[in-house]
Amino acid sequence: MPSVGDTAFRAPGRQWRSLAELERDPAFLDRAAQEFPILRDALSEPHKRRHVLRLIAASLAMGGLAGCYSGEPSGVLIPEVRFPPEIVAGLPNHYATAHVLSGYALGTVVTHQMGRPIKVEGNPNHPSSLGATDPYAQAEVLGFYDPDRAMDITRAGTPASVQTLLAALVSVQGVAAATRGAGLRILTGDTSSPTLARLMGRVLAAYPEARWHVWEPVNRDRAMRGAVLAYGQPVETVARLENADVILGLDSDLLGGVPGWVRYARDFASRRNPVRTQAMSRVYAAEASPTLLGSVADHRFVTGAQELDAVVVALGHSLLQGAPATLPGVPAWLAPVVADLKAHRGRAFIHAGPALSAEGHALVHAMNEALGGRGSTYELVEPVLDQPAASRAESIAALAEDMHAGRVTTLVMIDTNPVFTAPGTLGFADALARVPLSIALSKWPDETGRLATWSVPMAHPWETWSDARGHDGTVTIMQPMALPLYGGLSATELVGRLLGAEGETPRAMVQATWRDQLGGGGGDFDAAWHQALAKGVVPGSASAKATASLRDSAATLSPPPSPPGLHILFRPDPRLWDGRFASNPWLQELPDPLTKLTWDNPLLVSPDLAGQMGLRNGDKVNLRTGAGAISLPIWVHPGQARDTVLAWLGGGRRTAGGVGTDNGWDVYPLTGADGLAVMEPTGNQVELASTIHHNVIVFPPGSELDKIIKHATLDVFQQNPAFAKEPEKPEIYHRKPADPTAWAMTVDLNRCIGCNACVIACQAENNVPTVGKEQVLMEREMHWLRIDRYYEGTPDAPDAFFQPMLCMHCEKAPCELVCPPGATVHDSEGLNLMVYNRCIGTRFCSNNCPYKVRRFNFYPYAYRMNRPAVSWNNNVTMRSGGVMEKCTYCVQRIWSARIIADQANIPDGTIEVRTACQAACPTQVFTFGDQNNPGSDVHARKQSPLDYALLEDQHTHPRTTYEALVRNPNPAISKESA
Amino acid sequence: MAALFRPQANLLAKFGFIGIVVSILAGIGWWWGYPRTNYSRQEFWTVHQPVMFSHEHHVGGLGIDCRFCHTSVTTSSNAGMPPTYTCMTCHSQVWTNAEMLAPVRQSLARNEPIVWHRVYNLPDYTFFDHSIHITKGVGCAECHGEINRMPLTYKAVDLEMTFCIDCHQNPAPHLRPRTEIFNMEWTRTAATPSPRQLMAEYNVRAGGVLLECSTCHR
Amino acid sequence: MSDLPVIEPSAEAGLVPTTAPGQSVRRLRLDDPALLPGQTFEIVTDRIAAIPLRQKPFLWWWIGMILVVPWVGGLMTGIARVFISGPGVYGLNWPAMWGYDIIDYVWWIGIGCGAAFISALFYILGADWRAGIGRIAETVAVLSAATSGIFPIIHLGRPWLFYWLYPYPNMQGYWPNWRSPLLWDFWGIQSFLVVTACFWFLSMMPDFAALRDRARTKPRAMVYGVLALGFRGSGRQWRHHRAVCGALAIVVLIAACDTHSIAALDFAGAATVGWHTTQMPPYFLFGAVLSGAAMILLVGLPLRRLLRFGDMITGRHVDMLCRILLTSSLFITYSYALEAFMSWYSGDPAERTMFVHRVFGAEEGYSVWYVYWGTILFNCVFPQIFWLRPARMIQPIVWFVSLCVLVGMWMDPYKLIAESLERTRLPSAWGSFHGSWWDWLTLIGSVGFFFFLLLLAVRLLPMVGIHNIRRLIAGRVR
Repeated sequence: MPSVGDTAFRAPGRQWRSLAELERDPAFLDRAAQEFPILRDALSEPHKRRHVLRLIAASLAMGGLAGCYSGEPSGVLIPEVRFPPEIVAGLPNHYATAHVLSGYALGTVVTHQMGRPIKVEGNPNHPSSLGATDPYAQAEVLGFYDPDRAMDITRAGTPASVQTLLAALVSVQGVAAATRGAGLRILTGDTSSPTLARLMGRVLAAYPEARWHVWEPVNRDRAMRGAVLAYGQPVETVARLENADVILGLDSDLLGGVPGWVRYARDFASRRNPVRTQAMSRVYAAEASPTLLGSVADHRFVTGAQELDAVVVALGHSLLQGAPATLPGVPAWLAPVVADLKAHRGRAFIHAGPALSAEGHALVHAMNEALGGRGSTYELVEPVLDQPAASRAESIAALAEDMHAGRVTTLVMIDTNPVFTAPGTLGFADALARVPLSIALSKWPDETGRLATWSVPMAHPWETWSDARGHDGTVTIMQPMALPLYGGLSATELVGRLLGAEGETPRAMVQATWRDQLGGGGGDFDAAWHQALAKGVVPGSASAKATASLRDSAATLSPPPSPPGLHILFRPDPRLWDGRFASNPWLQELPDPLTKLTWDNPLLVSPDLAGQMGLRNGDKVNLRTGAGAISLPIWVHPGQARDTVLAWLGGGRRTAGGVGTDNGWDVYPLTGADGLAVMEPTGNQVELASTIHHNVIVFPPGSELDKIIKHATLDVFQQNPAFAKEPEKPEIYHRKPADPTAWAMTVDLNRCIGCNACVIACQAENNVPTVGKEQVLMEREMHWLRIDRYYEGTPDAPDAFFQPMLCMHCEKAPCELVCPPGATVHDSEGLNLMVYNRCIGTRFCSNNCPYKVRRFNFYPYAYRMNRPAVSWNNNVTMRSGGVMEKCTYCVQRIWSARIIADQANIPDGTIEVRTACQAACPTQVFTFGDQNNPGSDVHARKQSPLDYALLEDQHTHPRTTYEALVRNPNPAISKESA
Repeated sequence: MAALFRPQANLLAKFGFIGIVVSILAGIGWWWGYPRTNYSRQEFWTVHQPVMFSHEHHVGGLGIDCRFCHTSVTTSSNAGMPPTYTCMTCHSQVWTNAEMLAPVRQSLARNEPIVWHRVYNLPDYTFFDHSIHITKGVGCAECHGEINRMPLTYKAVDLEMTFCIDCHQNPAPHLRPRTEIFNMEWTRTAATPSPRQLMAEYNVRAGGVLLECSTCHR
Repeated sequence: MSDLPVIEPSAEAGLVPTTAPGQSVRRLRLDDPALLPGQTFEIVTDRIAAIPLRQKPFLWWWIGMILVVPWVGGLMTGIARVFISGPGVYGLNWPAMWGYDIIDYVWWIGIGCGAAFISALFYILGADWRAGIGRIAETVAVLSAATSGIFPIIHLGRPWLFYWLYPYPNMQGYWPNWRSPLLWDFWGIQSFLVVTACFWFLSMMPDFAALRDRARTKPRAMVYGVLALGFRGSGRQWRHHRAVCGALAIVVLIAACDTHSIAALDFAGAATVGWHTTQMPPYFLFGAVLSGAAMILLVGLPLRRLLRFGDMITGRHVDMLCRILLTSSLFITYSYALEAFMSWYSGDPAERTMFVHRVFGAEEGYSVWYVYWGTILFNCVFPQIFWLRPARMIQPIVWFVSLCVLVGMWMDPYKLIAESLERTRLPSAWGSFHGSWWDWLTLIGSVGFFFFLLLLAVRLLPMVGIHNIRRLIAGRVR
C-alpha cells in the first residue's frame, strides 16, 4: 500500500459546498476514479449498491474505470488487473485498530467486505473493550464515509494548493528555528499517542520557546487535581468493579463517560444478576441529575449541589474521623450508607464524577484508601494521557491570554475545535483573529477551520498510522485500512513537517517509537510489530501501578461550599459527546437513554422547578451565567434535583456539514464561569423530537408496569426465585417449529444500563436508515432495536427501568397470520422472516404486533440518506419505500455461519452465531443461540428462574425472553428517606 | 317506426360480447405468458464481450479447469472473475500478438480492467453462494449448462425463482460425486452412487431450511 | 288531485314535462300511500323517462357538476401524489399504521352495503314503498362501493403490486396468505361490486327498453337499445326478468351482509387492543344499515324535489326510511354499550386504558375525546328524534339528521382504527395520530367523486324504477 504521504495531497483543489455539486463535477469524478473508483461510483450511483459492490470486488487494484456503464442492460463485471493481496471477493477481512475518544483508546476490530470497512466490533484482546464497544465506536463507520468530511486545503477560506501549504510549513519551521520557537503555539485535544508525544518532545526541544497547549472540553481536570492534592502527583484510577460489593457514586459517570466505562460496565454487570453471581453488589448513587449509574443503582438519591457538598464532608468525617454521619443538613440516608461501606471494608468503592471539586476528589481518594479498596476494588496507575499535569482549562486560558496579548505568531491546532468548544469567557474567536498565522488540522470542516488562516483536512484514523492508549494505558498501534477517501494529513505528519522531517512517513514515525520496546532485547522487531498489529494491543504496555502513598493532608481537605442559587451542570451530549459527532446521523438520531430525545439538546429541568415556573417540554428560556447568555428550550427531567439544570455540551454546531449544522443549541458560551445560572421563561415554544410520543408517564408502584418489567428486591427473589413465572395456562393449540435447531434469545434486564451500543450496532449491521428530525416528530423512527425506558415511583425521584425491545420471533406470531401476500412467514427454526421483496405494505403486521417492533418505510429513507453506496452492509438487502422491516436475529450472520459450518461439515446445533447487538453490548445483556442445544448459553439462561416472556397472556410464545430485574436495596433505607 | 336494429345487430352484439371476453383473456394470457418466454428472460442469448473469449476453446478444447480462472468459487459466495494477469499468464507466451487479444494486453499495459458484460444477473435482494453449492456436490453445469460447448457464453437456464425452488425442494437428482463437479459432460452412470447416498454423504437438508425465504432473501 | 302534474305537450320533442312550471312538489304526509293516486302507465313512464331523455340537462345539474368536479380533481391529485411519494404523505405513523384510507374505505363500503341491504331486503319482502326508492338505493350502493374501492389500493405501501393478492400461477411458485382477513376483504369488496352492479343493471333493463322506445333521436335510441339487451317486454322476458331479479336480490342481501362482516373481520381478526372482539361483524352491519339509510335520505329528498317525484316518493317512503334509521341507530347504540362493557369486563388493563383514552383522551397538545362523543351524539342521540312521528315528515330535520349520521358514521371507524392504535399494549409505543393535508384532500375528493358519479347517473338513468312503479299501479308490488 502506498504511503499516506504520497496520497495525502491529492485532495481536490477547490472548495465544494455539497455532495450534489461533487457529483456534477466531472473533474472530481475523474480524480476519484483514479484515486478511488469505489468512491466515484458510491457518490455518483448511490442507489446501485450491489452493482457498485461488484465494481469494488473487481477494482481493488485502484485501476481506472473506463466505460464501466457501457454495454448490456444487465450490467457489467470488472475484474481487477492484478489480484489484490489477501482479498477474496465475497469473504470478509478483519483488521484490529482502536477508536480514540478524548485521548483514550477503545480497541476495535473492523470488518471489511471486499476492501471496504462496513462494521466495527470490539477487540476481545483489548482491556478497555473485551469485545464490546460504545455507540461512538460503532458509529465510526458512518463517520469514515461521511461525505461532509474535510476535503480541501483552504487558505483564508479560498482553496489553496498543497505546494503553498508545504511552503508555508517550511517557512514556519524556518522562523521557529530562527526564533527558538518564540510565538509558536501548538494546541491539541487530549491525546495519549506515544508517537505524537515523542514528536512534540522533539519540537519543544528544538524550539524551547514554543509551547504545547491542550484543550479538551470534556476533561477531568478536577479529578486530576484532586489526585495531585491526594498523592502529590497525577495518578489515574482504574476501577475493579468485579470486586466491589458496595459502590457509591457521587455524581458519577462510572457507566458512561469515564474512560474505560465499557470495561467497567462489563465488570459491574458481572455482579448484578443474582442467578449468576454469588454475592450481588449494592449500588448507591447520589447525584443532581440522573446518570446511567444512578438509573441502574439500587438506591438513587437526588442530591442537589449544596447537599452533595454536605454529603462529601459528612462522608469524610464519618469514614476518616469516625464521626457519626448525622450532621445538620445531611440527608437521613447517609448513615446507613456509611454503615454499609464500613461493613464492606476492602470490598467497597466510592467514585466521584468530573463535576466534583478537586478537594472533593482528594477526599474521595482518602476515603477509598480508608476503606482499603486500593488493590482490590481499584488500582492507581501512572497517567495515560500526554501532559497529565496540565489543567486543560488553565492551558487554554493561558493560550487565549497570549493570543489576546498578541504574543502568538503561529498557532497550530491539531484535531481540536476551540472556536466552538473553548469556554465562553475566553473569547477564543476574537483571540484567533489576532494570530497572524494559524493552521487548523481537522477531520471535518468546523468553526475553527473557518476562522484559521489554514484549514487542512485530517486523515481519518483508518487512513493513516498512529497509536493510542486505553484507560489502563495499554497501547494499540493503529494501521491504515484504506487509502484516504478525501486526502488528508495525519497529526504526526504535520508535526513532523514542523520538525522539517518531510521524508518520514507516519509508518516510519510510529515504528521509530516502538522499535526499542518491540524489538528490545534483540527480539525480532518485525515479528513483534506484526503481532501487535494483528492482536491490536502491544503486550505489557499497560501503565505501571502508581506507588505514591496518600498524603495526610488529603484527609483534612474540605471542598469549597457551593453558593446558593440555581446550579448549572454541563455534561457531554449522550449522542454527540462534545459536538465532534455532529455530522453523524446515526448518533444524531440515537435516542438519549432517559429522555429519548433525538437531534436536540434542550436544558434539563426538574419537574418541580418546571411546574413552579409554568414551563413545559419545548418552552424556551433565557439562560444566563457569568460567562454569557443564550436562549434554549427546556425538557422536564424526572429525578433531577430542584436546584440544578443540566446542559448538554455539543449541540448547536454552526459549521458541521449538511447533517450536523444547527441541530440543538450551543451551550459553550455559558461555560467557564462559576456553576450558577439565571433562568427566565421567554414564552416561545419549539418542537423537540423524542421517541417517546406521549406525555412522560411515571407509573405508581404495583401498576400494570409489573407485567412488562418484572422486578423485585433481592430478598423477595431469595424467598421465591421464580417470582416472575406465571402459571401455565391451557391453550387450544401451539405449533412448535419442527427443526432440531431453535434460534432464541434472552435479554437480561439486570445487566442493561441503557448505553445504546446495541442500537447503533444493529443500525450498522442491518442497514437501518435514519429519518431526520421531522420524521421522528411524526413518530416514524426506524430503529429495529429500541430501548424502552419506564419510570416508577414519583416524578421527583422515580426508579428508571431499561428494556431492550426487538423482534420477539414469536412461535405463534400475530404478524404472520394477517399478511395478505405472505411476506412475513415462519421458518422451521423458529425465525420470523420478513421478505422485503414480497411486501406490498399493507402494514397489517405492525398493527397486529403486540410489541410494536416493526418499522415501516413511509418514504424510501435508505435512499434519502446522504451516504456513499459502498458504506452499506452488502449482506443485507436495502429496503425501498413502502416496505415493512424489523429485527431478523441477524439472519445474514446465521446463514454465513451455517455455510462455513457446512463447508467444514460441522453438524447442526453446534454453530456459533453472535448477533450485532450481542457482540456490541458492553454488559452482555443479550444471549443468542440454539435453545435446543443443551450446551448453548441461551439454553442455560432459559433455565434461569428469572426467565419470563413479555406479554405472556397474549400466547405468542416469543423466542426472545427476558430475565426479570432484581435490585438489592438496603433494608435500612426506606423509600421515604431517599 | 322502423325497427331500431336490423336482425344482424344480434349477431353483431354476440360478436361484440365474444370479442370483449376474448381480448380480456388474451390480455391475461400475454401477462401470464410473456415472462415465461426466453426472450424476456434473455435465455440462450449470447452476450457481446470486449474480448471474444471462448469457453468452448479453453474448457472444451484445452481442458483448463474452471478454478484456474474462477479461483474463489470453492471458498466464497463470489466465483471470482479472473484478473487480466491470469489471462496473461498464458498469453504472454502464446498468441502474444493476436489481434483478438489486443484489449487484454492493453488492459495490462494501461492497468485498466477489462469490462465484461454480465450473463447471469440476480436481483439485489437475492443472495447466492457458489461455495456451498459446490461443497454439496452441485455441478457447475446444473446452472451454467454445457459451458464447454459455448463459443460465447450465454445464460443456460431461466433463473426464475421456481428454478431455484425446484432444486431446493428435491436436490437429490442434481447431486454428483465431488470429483465430477467441474466436469461439464458428466452423466450419471451405473457406477455413480445413488442420489440418496450422495444426499447422505453431503448431508444435504432436503426441504426444511433449504426452502426458507431467508435462504436467499435476507 | 290538484297537485298532480298537468300533462301537456312539451316544447321538447312532444314530450311530457315532469311538471307544470311553478308547481311545487307536494309536502310529506304520514298517511301517504306508496304511490299517490291518479297515475297511469303512460304518465309515469313519460315523466320518469323524460328526465334522462332531456335534450339539455337541468340548470341545477350544471351547478352541481361545477361544484363537484374540482373535488374529483382533488382526489386525482391525492392519488397521484401518493403513487409518486408513497404513504409518507399521509398522517400515518409507527403505532397508527392505518389511518384515513382504511377509515374512508370502511365508511363508503358501509354506506354501500347498507343501501344494498335495504333495497334487496325490501324487494324480497315485497314492501310497496320499495318501488319508489329502490333505484336510488341501488345507485347509492353501487357508487359507494365503487368509491370505496379506491382506498384499499392507495393505502398500500407499493400499490402497483396489489395484484399479488390474486392467486395466479406465478414464477415465484408462491400463493397469497389465505389466513389474512385483509385478503378475504380484497375478495369481498370485488364480489359485492359485481353482484350489486348486476342487480342494479338488471332491474334497469326494462326501463332502458322504455327509454329506447321513447327516445326521439337515433343515437340515444341506439344506446338505450343496446343497454336494454333486446328487452321487448314479452311475457316470457318478464317472467325470466322477475325470476333473476328475485334470485339476485337474495344474493345481494347475502353479499351486503358478508362484505361488511368481512370488513369487520379485518379488526375482529386482529389481536390489536380495541379490535379483538367478536361483536365486530354485527356491529359493522348495524352501522352499514344506519349509514345506508342516511345516504338514501340525503340523496333521495333533494332528488324527489328536483326531479318532481313527489308522488312516487311520498311520506310513506321517508317514514319507512326514518324508522329504519331509528332502528339501526338503536342497534348501534347497543353495540357501543357492549363495547364499553366488554372493555371493562375483559379485565385487560390495556383494553381499559385504550377505552378510557377513547372516551376522555386528552393530553398535552392532543385530545381525542370529541371523536367518541361525536359518534354517540350523531349516531345514537340525534336519530332518537324520529320517535316523534311528525319529525319524520319535516324534510329539513330528516335531511340534517341524515347528514349528521353520515358524519358520525365516519367518526365511528376513526375512533375504532386510529384511536385503538394510539394505545397499544406497551406504553412505550403509545402515540398520537394526526391526519395530514393529503388525508383530508383524499377524503373530500372521494365525496366529490361519489356525487360526480351520482350526477352522471341522474342525467343518464331513470332514478325511479319505471317498471316497479307500473307494477304498483297494476296493484302488484313484485
